[in-house]
Amino acid sequence: MTRRRAVAALLLAGAGAVQAGPMGFKDSQMAMGDFGPRWREAWINHAFTARDALGAGGLTMRSDDDRLRREIAEVNYTRLVHRINLPHAQANAWFVMGVGGLRGNDFAGTRTLWAPGLQLDYETTRVYVAAFARLYRADGVNHDYAALRAGFSFYNVEYEQTQPWLVLEARRMRGLSEQVEWTPMLRLINKGWFVEAGANQEGDARFNVMYIF
Amino acid sequence: MKRPLTLFAAALALTAAQAATTTKLTVNGMVCAFCAQGIEKKLKAMPATEAVYVNLADKIVAVQIKDGQTLDIDKVRAEVKDAGYDVVKVETVADTVEALRAASKARP
Repeated sequence: MTRRRAVAALLLAGAGAVQAGPMGFKDSQMAMGDFGPRWREAWINHAFTARDALGAGGLTMRSDDDRLRREIAEVNYTRLVHRINLPHAQANAWFVMGVGGLRGNDFAGTRTLWAPGLQLDYETTRVYVAAFARLYRADGVNHDYAALRAGFSFYNVEYEQTQPWLVLEARRMRGLSEQVEWTPMLRLINKGWFVEAGANQEGDARFNVMYIF
Repeated sequence: MKRPLTLFAAALALTAAQAATTTKLTVNGMVCAFCAQGIEKKLKAMPATEAVYVNLADKIVAVQIKDGQTLDIDKVRAEVKDAGYDVVKVETVADTVEALRAASKARP
């Protein structure tokens, strides 16, 4: 893997966690992990209102040849800017602002990272569509990230029961990789948790888990 | 003749009210398990709540009331609204939440 692609994968991993589920309900905590062969990530946030959450997370990532390593530690604020409730659907606009440190084995010290993002999504009990964009800004780092997610569930269930979904994600980091990564994933949701598993077009496996408590 | 009929109707209404144990809300925007989990947790914490049933497809939240207790409907409505969803209808029904669940499962 080239350095540019490794950095892209690193930043994509951080963004992926955000789009999978920005926050839980009021007074809840959301924990999430995103695991693949090239990165490991975990974060947690606390929803102190139904619309606001504060969180922190960490990520380690390496390139295929293990020569390039990256680490990010971030605190972030998530805000539900607007929600439209429809008879059988909801549509949301989310804002996220992350601040943290970026370290790598190809430069010395820690660079301050700013990462504002915006997500728009639409969801019914059977269909999910989301668009997410995030800017990554640090000294020597200036990248734009965009992702689209669309999925459907095979059938409705009681909400205490496990519901399977098929989700397709396309994502790209401008300025780092011109390749769009396509990842079909099977998602299982049951009340306060979900797991996702899939593989991108290069065969790299990906496993996500989230739990709200 | 009119007076006995009025009294009979009033008695029927009173009987229905006494038998009613469940408040049923129709909620717009409640489409995900995480949405339902938050609402259920808040409503279960209310002292008059016996049981809660949430059905996303039918978009209903049902709160069964403990015997001899009164549920603050405005507070229930406020909890759902505060969670980020719109309550479009509130009914009082005589069914338990288990009966509502069974009826939902029985539908094709």
